[in-house]
Amino acid sequence: MTGIKQVRLSGFGGQGVVLAGLLLGQAGVFDGKYISGSNSYGAQARGSGCKSEIVFSDGPVDFPHLTTADILIAMSQGAYNSYCGDVREESGLILYDQGLVTPKENLRVRHLGIPATDVSVKRLKNKQAANIVFLGVLIEATRIVSPGAIRKAISTHVSERFRSLNLKALRTGMELGRKAHG
Amino acid sequence: MASRWVKSPFPKGTYYFSGNEAAAEGAIAAGCRFYAGYPITPSSELMERMAVRLNEIGGVFIQMEDEIASISAVIGASWAGARAMTATSGPGFSLMQESIGYAAFTETPCVIIDVQRAGPCTGQATKVGSGDIMQAKWGSHGDYQVIALSPWSSQEMYDLTLRAFNLSEQYRVPAMVMADEAIGHLRETIRVAAKVEVWDRKKKKGGAPFDIEGEDGVPPMPSFGEGERLSVTGSTHDAYGFRKTDDPKAHARLVERINKKILNHKRSIIETEDYLLEDAEMAVVAYGFTARTSLYAVKRMRKDGTKVGMLRLKTLWPFPDEAVAEIGKKVKKIIVPEMNLGQVAGEVKKYVPCDVISLSQTNGEVIQPDTIMEMLRKI
Amino acid sequence: MVRALEKYIRPGVKSTPFCPGCGHGILMGLILRAIDDLKMDMKKMLFVSGIGCAAWIPSPHYNGDTLHTLHGRALAFATGAKLYNPDLCVMVVSGDGDLSSIGGNHLIHAARRDIDLKVICANNMIYGMTGGQAASTTPRGSKTSTTGEGNPYRPFDLCKLVEGAGATYVSRFSVTQPISLIQSIKKALLHKGFSFIEALSPCPTQFGRRNLLERPEDMIKDLIRRCILEEEAEGLTEEERAEKIITGEFLS
Repeated sequence: MTGIKQVRLSGFGGQGVVLAGLLLGQAGVFDGKYISGSNSYGAQARGSGCKSEIVFSDGPVDFPHLTTADILIAMSQGAYNSYCGDVREESGLILYDQGLVTPKENLRVRHLGIPATDVSVKRLKNKQAANIVFLGVLIEATRIVSPGAIRKAISTHVSERFRSLNLKALRTGMELGRKAHG
Repeated sequence: MASRWVKSPFPKGTYYFSGNEAAAEGAIAAGCRFYAGYPITPSSELMERMAVRLNEIGGVFIQMEDEIASISAVIGASWAGARAMTATSGPGFSLMQESIGYAAFTETPCVIIDVQRAGPCTGQATKVGSGDIMQAKWGSHGDYQVIALSPWSSQEMYDLTLRAFNLSEQYRVPAMVMADEAIGHLRETIRVAAKVEVWDRKKKKGGAPFDIEGEDGVPPMPSFGEGERLSVTGSTHDAYGFRKTDDPKAHARLVERINKKILNHKRSIIETEDYLLEDAEMAVVAYGFTARTSLYAVKRMRKDGTKVGMLRLKTLWPFPDEAVAEIGKKVKKIIVPEMNLGQVAGEVKKYVPCDVISLSQTNGEVIQPDTIMEMLRKI
Repeated sequence: MVRALEKYIRPGVKSTPFCPGCGHGILMGLILRAIDDLKMDMKKMLFVSGIGCAAWIPSPHYNGDTLHTLHGRALAFATGAKLYNPDLCVMVVSGDGDLSSIGGNHLIHAARRDIDLKVICANNMIYGMTGGQAASTTPRGSKTSTTGEGNPYRPFDLCKLVEGAGATYVSRFSVTQPISLIQSIKKALLHKGFSFIEALSPCPTQFGRRNLLERPEDMIKDLIRRCILEEEAEGLTEEERAEKIITGEFLS
């Protein structure tokens, strides 16, 4: 369907998948889009599979859940294996964590490997920032939301204590995105 | 009795709210200043937001010891003058039923939001269902009416919660927002207007609080402490609240009035929406989240040339019998997809001569568009 | 009812609905005497009750706001009204079965929160209205319509229960101790916080006739004989004490 983009962020509980989805959706709202976002996770708070799905649209969204992903972000091998087959062929895009995911070779979907966790640990000294690094890459590679909107979303939803870390992670991600995207 | 326009307590603008958060803001906008509740998945975020917001604006929030205590505290606060509410999910909704009957019989305005999950019993606490539709109408014993609305978006969690308060105050009746897990947790773009319309309850010094002659059927409602020396009882009572536990006429009169005051106004209470029905040969009758799925499926089928439309039930109780009957005259087949074993399909059958096909799903997941399209193709 | 108290009775109310010999009528008058002594404004008083004989003490008889609720839930309704309008003086009058069996959870939580509610529990140790079934307050060994061989279980000590749960004024008196009971009700009315008075009230119809106290005066005499003050209990043997009911102000 034209005018609709569907993004799935996935990983395991504790990686910040839900927060990243919230920020991405909020940024879309700031950009004036119609957004429908939903999450799913297991009953336990940490460690089980987790995904956050955002539908971006220029008009009201009929079915608010994701039908086929245009973009998949996979932060774990389990998430990649579960969802890589559900990405739109040819035009789709998969961003995966280079250190944690070994991609399949036979898929007709563009792949970008991102050392998100590695960079978070080494450059940001916080493994928890990988989710935001991914958002930076995504924005640089696709402009699905504007950089200004995502910064505003971070200010809205992230507590002051972690705000500068998140903004730095975003910049780092955007740099990585520029390199990877070429 | 009249409505007035007041400034929205939340600044005008566009927000990214979950359904549960939006419902809390709708309640605050409606003037809700009392919340009593008990934690239960998947409605807890609503209570958490009310705790924060009522603290900010000077309302009363209390976490009670269980759900029947919660709805009972809501009724007590309502008689003390509050616009009051609670929210819950299946098991908690079950526990509330006796007090919901009390609210209906004593004509106490109150709002209950049920974020439905997969039942029966504890079922799957984090999964979706819409199995409480009949319970909303028939959950407490005896014959009474409630108003039950069915939101299909985060926006409507805001709008219909506000409307539930207004209807509840206007008709002195418990009003329910029959949401579900998928809508409660769905985060969407919502618009908050600068001003909202709110209804005030009718007041009349010395007026009988429990009977009234005439078409309206809604007596004035004083509050405790206003010097009216109210007598409120869940036993059968006369116009001034005196118990009438042996008087057949008093019982018949009261039961009839609390039912008629809603049914006589059903045309102003009920809201439905038509989609692509003008030339339709088949119709999907849907509500809640499933109406979103249905609309998507119907539009897809239209592209393939299938003459199908959708009737969306925005109000579930009182049941939109006239709108359903109207569609029943036009189409050959009606499909009712729902996340229960045909609760609304059974109601639809009462009012139409054509075939009604129940498309049930009770696996804790939302119905996918393909499931509806497959059924439409088959028939 | 003496003339001076008539103004506290709702116009239109006729005789009380209670059986001959029931203690609830006495309690009904004692509460009004306490209210009259303190010159309380009935327009600001809300009386909340549950279901059962005792729930009819205030509803509809008292000429303030009365809220006759569901079985067991009076305290939850009262909590909502008091929190939303703290200017109301909220008194809950209900029975032992209502407040401590079906409503037991609400009782301990209302006490825990120490919300300013004045609770008068009319304890007749039995379910009167429904036909004399055993209550959570029926003494061990007593006969009821559901314990023909004598109640095998221990009763609640309601005062200890609510004190343990956090009540800040607690007393027990019998309607056979009217002066003490009036004084105690006055103290509860002036106390800020959760006040609980267990008011022992005889039920000859359902309790007395099953337990060798057939005539109304037998139950009254029995209460007069058995109710003693804490200090009077000090010199008694264990055996003597066991058949007495300790009354008094336990927490104030």
